[in-house]
Amino acid sequence: MHNFGALLSRLAEAGLEFVIVGGYAAVSHGSSYVTKDVDICLVFSEENVAKLRVALRDLNPQHRMAPQRLSFLDVPPPGTPLQNLYLRTDWGIVDILSSVLGVGDFSRLKERAETVEVDGRRFALISLDDLIRAKEAMGREKDLLTAKELRAIAAKRAL
Amino acid sequence: MFLPVTPHEKLQALEAARVAGIDLEMLETNLTLSVKERWAQHDAALDFAEKLVAAKKAADAQLWRVAESAR
Repeated sequence: MHNFGALLSRLAEAGLEFVIVGGYAAVSHGSSYVTKDVDICLVFSEENVAKLRVALRDLNPQHRMAPQRLSFLDVPPPGTPLQNLYLRTDWGIVDILSSVLGVGDFSRLKERAETVEVDGRRFALISLDDLIRAKEAMGREKDLLTAKELRAIAAKRAL
Repeated sequence: MFLPVTPHEKLQALEAARVAGIDLEMLETNLTLSVKERWAQHDAALDFAEKLVAAKKAADAQLWRVAESAR
């Protein structure tokens, strides 16, 4: 069972500051597409990696790109510099990024992020403008189609 | 400028989406939902899609076994 909302809440409860990006951000803005993962962007400080481990400790987090499915709880050792993490958990896939192509890093995203409230918890969501920028920078067919959908959402929001 | 701003740009954006096959009525419905509802709707759709994929795999495996035993 997927429960990306609960996964995001778990990360927020752990004190992590992040911006929701990618396909799930598109869903949050109103997209009809279905995505298999939730992407977030944060600063990969040692403190944040430790918080990630605490937040995901009972969700069996594994490096999904590694053939041996190594546990994120053990690998990499604390202090290892990280750029991105691609994890499979019991509640779904979470990809954790240090920056978003075409837009920038966490601080740049945060600057223009929208705030959405779910169950009394506030989440930073990549702005529609930045998400379109990111999707167009990715340039894949599916991303360009999502960008078109997001532009339509922007047009409808403003009508 | 990435977001459509002028009325003309908005109409262009809607037309481009329609031509691309995007269901604009569905978008309107989504926009009436809260973010929490959008998340719940999405996660249920993903669960269902994965159940369908698993069911198709199981059915294919069954067919394969029947075909093999008939040889």
